[in-house]
Amino acid sequence: MRSKLNYLISVSLNRKIKTKWFLIANIILAIVIIGVFNIDSIISFFGGDFNEKTKIYVIDNTAKAYDVFKEQLETSEKILNNDESNLKFEVINYDKTIEDVKKLIEEDPKHIALVFAKNIDKVVDVTLISESYIDTIDYQLISSAVNNTKMVIAIQESNISMEEIRKIYSPVEINRIYLDETKKSEEENMEMIMTSVFPTLILPFFMLTIFLVQMIGAEVNDEKTTRGMEIIISNVSPKTHFFAKAIAGNLFVIIQGALLFSFGAIGLLIRKFVGGNTIVDGLGSEVGRIINKILESGIGDQLIYIIPLTIILMFLTFIAYSLLAGIFASMTTNIEDFQQLQTPIMLISLAGYYLSMMAGMFEGAVFIKVLSFVPLISAILVPSLLVLNQIGVMEVFISIIIMIGFNYLLIKYGLKIYKVGILNYSSKDLWKKMFKAIKN
Amino acid sequence: MLKVEGVTKYYGNFMAVDNLSFTVKPGEIFGLLGVNGAGKTTTFRMIMGLLEPTSGEITLNDKPIDYSVTDNIGFLTEERSLLTKMTVREQCLFYGTLKGMSKEKILSRLDELLLKFDIPEYKDRKIKELSKGNQQKVQFITAIINEPKLLILDEPFAGLDPFNVESFKKEIVEMAKKGSIIIFSSHRMEHVELFCKKLVVLVRGKSVLSGYLKDIKAQYRQKNIFIKGDVTKEELEKIAGVVEVIEKADEFEVKIEDKKVAPKVFKVISNKNTEKFVVEEPSLNEIFVAKVGESYEK
Repeated sequence: MRSKLNYLISVSLNRKIKTKWFLIANIILAIVIIGVFNIDSIISFFGGDFNEKTKIYVIDNTAKAYDVFKEQLETSEKILNNDESNLKFEVINYDKTIEDVKKLIEEDPKHIALVFAKNIDKVVDVTLISESYIDTIDYQLISSAVNNTKMVIAIQESNISMEEIRKIYSPVEINRIYLDETKKSEEENMEMIMTSVFPTLILPFFMLTIFLVQMIGAEVNDEKTTRGMEIIISNVSPKTHFFAKAIAGNLFVIIQGALLFSFGAIGLLIRKFVGGNTIVDGLGSEVGRIINKILESGIGDQLIYIIPLTIILMFLTFIAYSLLAGIFASMTTNIEDFQQLQTPIMLISLAGYYLSMMAGMFEGAVFIKVLSFVPLISAILVPSLLVLNQIGVMEVFISIIIMIGFNYLLIKYGLKIYKVGILNYSSKDLWKKMFKAIKN
Repeated sequence: MLKVEGVTKYYGNFMAVDNLSFTVKPGEIFGLLGVNGAGKTTTFRMIMGLLEPTSGEITLNDKPIDYSVTDNIGFLTEERSLLTKMTVREQCLFYGTLKGMSKEKILSRLDELLLKFDIPEYKDRKIKELSKGNQQKVQFITAIINEPKLLILDEPFAGLDPFNVESFKKEIVEMAKKGSIIIFSSHRMEHVELFCKKLVVLVRGKSVLSGYLKDIKAQYRQKNIFIKGDVTKEELEKIAGVVEVIEKADEFEVKIEDKKVAPKVFKVISNKNTEKFVVEEPSLNEIFVAKVGESYEK
C-alpha cells in the first residue's frame, strides 16, 4: 500500500489537476500562447496584412520632386526604425490627375497622395490627400521628407552637384565612446532582458509562484474551514501533511510549467508548418543580434553551468514559497485571512519581478547585486543579471547555498508553527502565536 | 481499555480540563456530558492525540495514543468534517486510506454501510449536494468505515430525525457488542440515558458526576412519583418531603426528597380513587440539571 504521504500528495495534486477549472485555464493559456506565436498568421487569416505597405502616390508637377522625395522618405524611415529591410511606405510615381488619385484613395483609404507643384515664387508647394487624419508619426516622417525635398530641389537649382547634395543630406553618424568599455546603453540592456529571459523565465516563474501560493493556501484553508483537518491530522502527523502540501504544490508547478513550455513549443511548430518559418526567422535578425550580444559578453562559455544552476535556484525558491504558503495557511482559518497574510510574500515576489525587468537600468548597482543573494528574490533576479553579465557562476552558487539555508530554517521553524497553527481556528493574535510557536 | 488519568489542560492561563480521570472498557458505551464550553471537545482532542495534555496521561490498552494506533480509532467531530467538494465515494476513500485501509476494503465496506443507512444512491453525489442529515450519515460512515476499536463521537445525533437517530443507535450498540470502546457526547440526555452505561459530567473542565448510570441514579436521593387519580395538587404539596408537584395533562408528577417520602404520599392517595401510582428514578436530565446548577452555584 502506498504510504500516507504519497497518498496525500496524489490527492492534493488530483484535487488541483483533475478539475474543469485547470482544464479551462490551460485551454485559455494554450490558445493565448499559441496565438501570440502566430499572431501575424491569425491577422492575415482574418484579412489583415502586416506586410502591406502604405502607398504614397506622387503627382510630380515639378519633374524633380519624385526621386528626391522617395530617397528622403526612405532615409528618414531607416533612421527612425533602425531597420533597412522593413519599410512602411511605398512611393509611386503617379502620372494621372488629382481626381483620379482621389478615387484611388476612396477605394483604399489606407493610401495617401502627394501633389508637388511650384507656386508663383517658384518654390515647391505640396498638397497631401488622405481619406482621414493620418498617424502623427507618419505625418512627421512625410513632412520631414517633403521639407528636405524642397531644400534639395532648391539647392539643385543653385547648381550644386548631386554628389554634394547627397553629402549634405546624408545622416550624421554619431560615434559613441564609453569610458567604461563594459557599459551598454540602458535601452540595449532592457531589450536584452525583455526579449530573452523575461518571456522564457521571469514571467513564467512569477506566474507559477502565484499559482503555487494560491493552491496551497486554498487547499489548507478548505480543509480547515470544513474541519476535515481534524480527521486528517488525527491520522497523519502535521509534519507529513506539511510536506505533502509542499511537494504536491511543487509537482503542480512542474506540471504547469511543462505545459506552458509545451504550448510555446506547439506555437513554434504551428508557425513552422503554417508560416513556413520559425519565430526566430519571423523576428528577423533581432533575436540573433541579441544572442550574439549575450555571447559576446563572455557568458556563453559558462552556460553549461549557469542553466542548471539557475534551474536549481528556481526550484529551491519554489520550495521556499510553498513552505511559506503552508506556514501562513496553517495559521489562518479561511481564504480571506490567508489573502491578507500572504500579502508580504506577494509583495516580495512582485518587487523581484519588477527589479528583474528593470535590472538593465541599474547596471552595476551594488544594491541590485546584493538583492540577487536575497532568498525569494534571487531566483527571479539572477537570470536578468546573468544576461547582463553582472554576475557569474560563483554568485549563482552562493545564492543557491543561501537558498538551501533559508529552506532549512523554514522547515525547522515553520514546522513548529504548522504544528500549532494547523488546528488553530482563531484569527486573533496570529503573529504573536507564530512567534510563540517558534520559541517553544 | 481506554484510561484517562489525572488529565489537565491549560490554554495559556485558561484551564479547559481539570484533573479528569475515567476508564472505558471494551464493549462499554461512555457518555461525556457537559454544557457548551465544559471541556468535552478538548478531552476528545486529547484522546485523539490532537492536543497534548498539560499533565496526566491517556492510554489505550496501556499504550500512549500516537500515530501507530490511530488506524484503529474512529472520530466524528461536532462540526461537519467533510470536504464538501468531494463525492461520498471520494471522501470515504480519502479518510479510509488515511486509516490504512485498502481501496477494495473501503469500497466494499462503503457499499455495506450506505445500504445500512439507506442512502446507496448517494455514492457518487458531491457531499455539498446532500441534506444536513445525509451529510451527518456520511460523516458517521467515515468514522466507522475502519471498524474502529475506539470510536469517539462528538454530538453524533446533531441534525438527525428520530428515525435516523434510531439507526445510529442501533449501529453504535452493535459495535459495542463487537467489543469497541465507544465514547460520545450529546446535549440530548434521553439519547445518553437510552444506551450509555457509564458517564462523566463536566462543568468548566471539572468532573462533577461520574460512574455507572445505574449507580448514579441509585445514589441520587430525589425520586419521582407519577399519580393518576382523584387528588388535588394542593393535597400533594402539603405532604412533608414533597419538593415539587407538576400538573400534567392527566396525571401529577411529584418530586420527593427521598424514597422514604413515597409511603407518606401513598397514604394520602390510598383512600382516593387512584388509577396510577408509580415511583421512578429521576431522569438523567434532572440529575444533569441539578448537578450542573449546583456546580455553577459553587
